[in-house]
Formats: sequence, C-alpha cells, structure tokens
Amino acid sequence: MDRIECQWCKAQNETGRTNCTTCGAPLDTKDLVTDSGWAEAPRLRDMTEFRFSNSTCQIEGEIVPVAEIALAQGDSVFFEHHVMLWKEPQVPLSALNTGGGMKRMLGGMPHILSVAHGPGRVAFSRDASGEVVVLPLHPSMELDVREHAFLAGTHSLTYSFVRIQGLVNVLHGGGGMYMDRFVTQNEPGLLLLHGYGNVFQKTLQHGEKIMVEPGGFLYKDSSVTMNAVKQNVKTGLMGGHTMYLAEMTGPGRVGIQSMYVHHGSE
Amino acid sequence: MTMPPAQGAYTCPYCRMASDGGGGTCPACGAPVDLRLKVSDSGWVEQPPIRDLAHIRFGRSTCQVSGTYVPVAEMALHDDDWVYFSHHVLIMMRAQGPGHIAFSADAPGETLAVPLSAGRAIDVVEHRFLVATGNVAYQWQNSNIWFTTQDGDDEEWHYPLGKTIDQFAATGGNGLLLLHAPGNTFIRDLAPRQRILVQPSGLIWKDQSVRMFLHFEYPHGQYWFSSSRYQAKATWLTLEGPGRVAIQSVFERPEGSGYVRRTSGATTQQW
Repeated sequence: MDRIECQWCKAQNETGRTNCTTCGAPLDTKDLVTDSGWAEAPRLRDMTEFRFSNSTCQIEGEIVPVAEIALAQGDSVFFEHHVMLWKEPQVPLSALNTGGGMKRMLGGMPHILSVAHGPGRVAFSRDASGEVVVLPLHPSMELDVREHAFLAGTHSLTYSFVRIQGLVNVLHGGGGMYMDRFVTQNEPGLLLLHGYGNVFQKTLQHGEKIMVEPGGFLYKDSSVTMNAVKQNVKTGLMGGHTMYLAEMTGPGRVGIQSMYVHHGSE
Repeated sequence: MTMPPAQGAYTCPYCRMASDGGGGTCPACGAPVDLRLKVSDSGWVEQPPIRDLAHIRFGRSTCQVSGTYVPVAEMALHDDDWVYFSHHVLIMMRAQGPGHIAFSADAPGETLAVPLSAGRAIDVVEHRFLVATGNVAYQWQNSNIWFTTQDGDDEEWHYPLGKTIDQFAATGGNGLLLLHAPGNTFIRDLAPRQRILVQPSGLIWKDQSVRMFLHFEYPHGQYWFSSSRYQAKATWLTLEGPGRVAIQSVFERPEGSGYVRRTSGATTQQW
C-alpha cells in the first residue's frame, strides 16, 4: 500500500491525506527550503487536527495560534501554567516538580510545571505572533529548547533542564541560564513549541557549524553543541563594537525563530 | 459546514444580523459570507478577519477596514452621523461628519465589528474599545473581579480583568461598535448554566446575560515550599451562560501571587 512520508516529521501517512496525522504538517504542499538549507517549519492549516496516544490536538488561528487538546482518559500534558488559555472545569490539574527549585527560581524559570489530565479539553497559547511548531519525538531522542518556548509536552516525555555552560554563554548568549530538555524513553512523545515569527530548521552534519543570533535560537538536538562566540566589528579607525553569536556545531537539528527581543548579544 | 450562497435573506453567523448576503461580506460586521464556518471540536467559532477593504454600513455612513496585521478602520461619516473613540486615557473624543477619519490599534490582531441591535448591550474588557457610533451609549462600572493576597503586613489587590469594565448599549436604533483584539478571536454561545474557564485577560466581550466570577484551582502534587502551592494555582474567570462570549488567543501572563486572602465571589477547586 502506498504511503506518503511527512517531510517534517517523517511519519508515514495514508494516501489521500492532506495533513500528517502525527504532526499536522500539510502533505500536499512542496517543502520550502532556502538556498542555504533552512527548511521552513510547516505553517499548520487552520483547524488542523492530529493525534497522539488516544488524544487529539487541533490548531486554531493563524496570528497567535491556539493548540486545543482533547485529552483521552489516561493521557496528560504538562506545561508552564500561564500558557493555559481555557479549559473545561472538570479537567484535573496536578503539579510536576522540576527539581532544582532555588536554581530555577534564580534563573527565572518555573520550578513547578502544571499537568492536565484527561478526559477533557484544555487549550494553550502564548503571548505574541508566531506559529506552533509540532515536534514528534521518537524513542530515545533528546531535544533542548530555549526557556519559555515550549507550549506543552505529552506525558510520555521526560522533562529536565540543563544549565547553559560557561559564564560568557549565560551573560551574552541571550538564551538565559537554562534550557529545557525533553527526553523520550521507550515510547514516542509529542512536543508543542511556540516560535515567535516564523520558524526554520536546519540539519547540521557532524562538525558542521552555523552561527545564529542567540535571540533567534529556538531548539536543537542535544547532540548539537552551542557556544557563545565573541565577534569584534570595527566601526572606524578608533572605534569597535563587540557582539556575540551562538555557534552551533552538528550533528543534529537546529531550529530558529525570525522574531525575538534580545539585547544580550549587543 | 459550508455557508450557503447568498440568496434572499442571509443571517450572518458571527453577528446574527440579516442582510441580502450580496457583496461577499456582511454589511453589518464585514465578515465574509462565502467562507466555511470554522468551529473547533469543542465548539469555539473562529471569528474570520474582516476581509481587506470590506465595507461596513452604519447610519448613512460607511466604515472600510484595510490591512491584515494591524487593520485600520476608515470611516466616511455622513453629516448626520458621529462616532466617539478613546483618546488614550480618561477622555472620549467625538468626530462629527461629514468627513473621513481612521482608527487603528497598536498590536497585530483583528478588528472586530460588533453590530448592536436596538436595546442590546454588551460588556467589553477595558482597552479593547476602538470606536463606536453615536447611538451606542457608553458607561463603565467596577468589574467586581478581584482578589487580595498577603505580602508581609501588606494586603495586595489584584484585578485580573482590570478594575473596570466597559458597557455599550444600542439606544434609539442599531449601533456599531469596533473593538481590537490581539491575536485570533473566538466566539462561543454558552447554553444556560454552561460554564467554561478562561484566562481573565483573554476575555474580549460578553453578553450581559453571561455571569462571571473567579475560580482558583490548586494542582495536586508535592511541593518544595508551602508557598509553591499558592504560586502554582491557576486563576480562572468562570463564564456561565446563557449568552455569547468572545476571547482572544493572546493574554497577559498572570502575575505571580501568593495566598489568596479575600476575593470577590469565587469558587475554589483543590485537585
């Protein structure tokens, strides 16, 4: 039987489908890849629906999209509690301790994540124009995400956080002190991110490097290393200017966003 | 569900006003008439953006909405008509026809046209108001949505919906109200006693028949510090039907707050 492979998440889909059942990406449009190799994250069609476990997720709106999740009995999602837009009253909430309470407080990260349990519906959105990026994670994957960028993760993901190494990275990296780390064990998981503006992804080969504006960094495979690199720019005979860029070294995927507010690299 | 082609009487599903359905857009609210109604599985109807350069009629005047990111509402006022609008804070300004005047907000989002049939009144969250026709009466009142927390010896007051709420009512005929909402807009008709929990700052407007009150939820779990339980609480606005409500996908991040000491009418759920 013929199958259609999703160009975004590589899942196999039945012929005739127009959207991937795993990540919602349109299947009937051509991949958009720039000459330099950045693939544009698929803009999910309004009201696109896709499945995870026994639950469904529907993306609504195109300016600041809402992810509406219909949780089945036994399924749950975790999230930073201020991203809930609405929920049905009967959906139970619990708290997930992230560990590292004081460190996270100092780093401006929540030390408690909220968990919504099925059955019932809950909806999430962030606070600025952008797009929802759906990242299905296959077993034994690790993904690092810029802090405060994740919208929701499914119960099969293990959440932890990693400190960004090096004082230079922390002070000038523009990404804060920590990154969220999502790990899958034996079963697949689904991660929803909110990227501000448009989101692009590039897969780096082993040892391949790319410099990105730190404020634009959104996510990376944990196999990709990230370092803040000082750039000296001459502005005249006597003048000079210093800026920092994030040097990403493969192998693995790097995701960036086109809109950001960042002053740490200046 | 596909909207039928314009034939004879047409009732706009977004503003419920009748027209002949010609011209591609509803003359009362600017919504496209030939667009598939987008309803989420849970029942929220996505308000479509007003089509670029669509015309809305009111009195003997017209309003044309242009742009898609931060739309501009350009009004061609007949000499019998006037509109009023908020000039930043405190005062309302009045513009009398004949002539053109244009309005826009300061964030990407949607301009919402809410036609009010004679006698209809709605509550609008503060800072959403853009402009209204002269026959729409305006008043404000305390939102009566508040709670206090303890901070040392001080009692801190919180107004998740804002301290006041705007009320608009059509008097002496049909009126038009233009609002601006950041992000995307969704509307929903709540049945009698049906409840939904929304982020307080996500509300745009509601029918006056919709009751609202605060709801605090404390997630179940083990907490490192006793204060964490209070920080982890979700502060919701309960909306209870019957009536229509509209929300926006962008909302302000709720401020961290501690132990709730006093509150306006509220319910609590300890999971």
